[in-house]
Amino acid sequence: MAIEYKKPIPIPSHESQPYWDGLRDRKLMMPCCDDCKHHWFPPSFLCPKCNSSKWTWTQLSGRGRIFSYVVYHRVYHPAFAGEVPYAVAVIELDEGPRMYSNVIGLPPDQLSCDMKVEIVYEPITNEITLPKFKPIAA
Amino acid sequence: MNTALRDKYAIVGTGKSRLGQVGANSLALLEEAMNNALKEAGLTNKDVDGVVVRGADDIYSHHQMMAQRLGVDASFSTSLDNGGASQILSIILAVMAIEAGLATTVVCGYGRDSWSRTHSKVGAGIAQNDLIPAAQRQKEHGPEFGHFGAVSQHAFGARRHMFEYGTKRDDFAQIAMAFREHALRNPEAQMKKPMTIDDYYKARLIVEPFGMFDCSLNSDGAGAVVVTSTERARSLKQKPVLIKGFATHNNTKGWIEEDHMLSTGAVESGERAFRMAGLGPKDVDTAQIYDCFTYMVLTQLEDYGFCKKGEGGAFVRSGALRMGGVLPTNTSGGQLSEAHVEGMLQIVEGARQLQGVYGPDRQVKDAEIALISGHGGNQVCHSTLILGRA
Repeated sequence: MAIEYKKPIPIPSHESQPYWDGLRDRKLMMPCCDDCKHHWFPPSFLCPKCNSSKWTWTQLSGRGRIFSYVVYHRVYHPAFAGEVPYAVAVIELDEGPRMYSNVIGLPPDQLSCDMKVEIVYEPITNEITLPKFKPIAA
Repeated sequence: MNTALRDKYAIVGTGKSRLGQVGANSLALLEEAMNNALKEAGLTNKDVDGVVVRGADDIYSHHQMMAQRLGVDASFSTSLDNGGASQILSIILAVMAIEAGLATTVVCGYGRDSWSRTHSKVGAGIAQNDLIPAAQRQKEHGPEFGHFGAVSQHAFGARRHMFEYGTKRDDFAQIAMAFREHALRNPEAQMKKPMTIDDYYKARLIVEPFGMFDCSLNSDGAGAVVVTSTERARSLKQKPVLIKGFATHNNTKGWIEEDHMLSTGAVESGERAFRMAGLGPKDVDTAQIYDCFTYMVLTQLEDYGFCKKGEGGAFVRSGALRMGGVLPTNTSGGQLSEAHVEGMLQIVEGARQLQGVYGPDRQVKDAEIALISGHGGNQVCHSTLILGRA
């Protein structure tokens, strides 16, 4: 990176490390239960639906919809001072899990709930790639 | 839910500290409020054998520190961790402790010094968001996207509600303006100026759809109540306020999961509390609803059944929340305009409305039943308290 990256850099936990490894390889990986096929996020020890301990890191489609979104005007972290107003969204993936992300490629005032989106991989360090989303035709 | 406990316990004293831009630490503020509550009850520290508090996030065994300050040896004391739902929960726990024979008279309360800590004269003070201890902050799945704090979490709910039901910022404005109008009748309230719809829209945007006046205040302050059995209350100084019903419900799967941001734990908590009290929404004379943000009032009004889901906008536009309306709500000004003490002051206000202590401009006429709500704990913990005039 030519310019120093000043935004918060995620600190993976022992549970989330495979998720971040997947993103680095441009794959969206989440736990999927071997027994009930439930996908969930963030990762945890047991399937939260059936409490099975048998589950597998599985690649997701990277497609979903904007369940809800907000537009930040206030600067809570100095590294975002140049970005306000920016959108933070709750993305509902087609496979079910919901996650926070940014929606890029459209001005915040043109977003709407239920808009279809797909993942965009944004590397910020050699180790960490952020999953962001851009609108796609419905 | 146990109807046998209906009216068996009572609030026998309420107290507040100074509110607003006080300049004091949270322990001292809570001590002030607890002392006022005991005095109002006509009790001394010798009469108290229980302390239940929600500690400040960064104080360990907070209840012990409070009991030490008050000079109380407690047969039962503890600190809670349900965020803004903790304050009603402290009263529920007091009732449970007394019922179980662990204590006889319990003082409950919460104190907060976020204004002082963000306006410290020592150094520059810290940002409100940084009041959360570093160890408790998210390290992934949020901050990297510029996502911080409670404002935006609740704003997600507001946005989805607007999308599903056609709710407008105009509706949120009605809530903010009604509570501001109530605050003008309350000399203790932090906000002293009237608010017009123009003021609401001119205020800076924080996290859309919320502007500044959709957000609760940054306050110092504390509130406290004394709980004992109704039988014991008969020999005390004040006419007791009866605890008719209570419940909790926590949508612990998470705020962004299922429909939790549109339909809060107030649905289940309210239903059980009403059943315990043998009452329904139409019996409530005044509501004190946890108003961390305007939207949270709107959705809870629906969730409690004061109007149908999706009709909160029309309900607040009707003037229902104002003095003289069908449901005078947050009659002290609430957290949006009195002071933000995580729901503790709303318990005090509900009890005092039933004691009938106010002059005609602030007193809800013939108030017999008050409903109070608590909300917090990663946005999904909920508690309900229904009080009645003795």
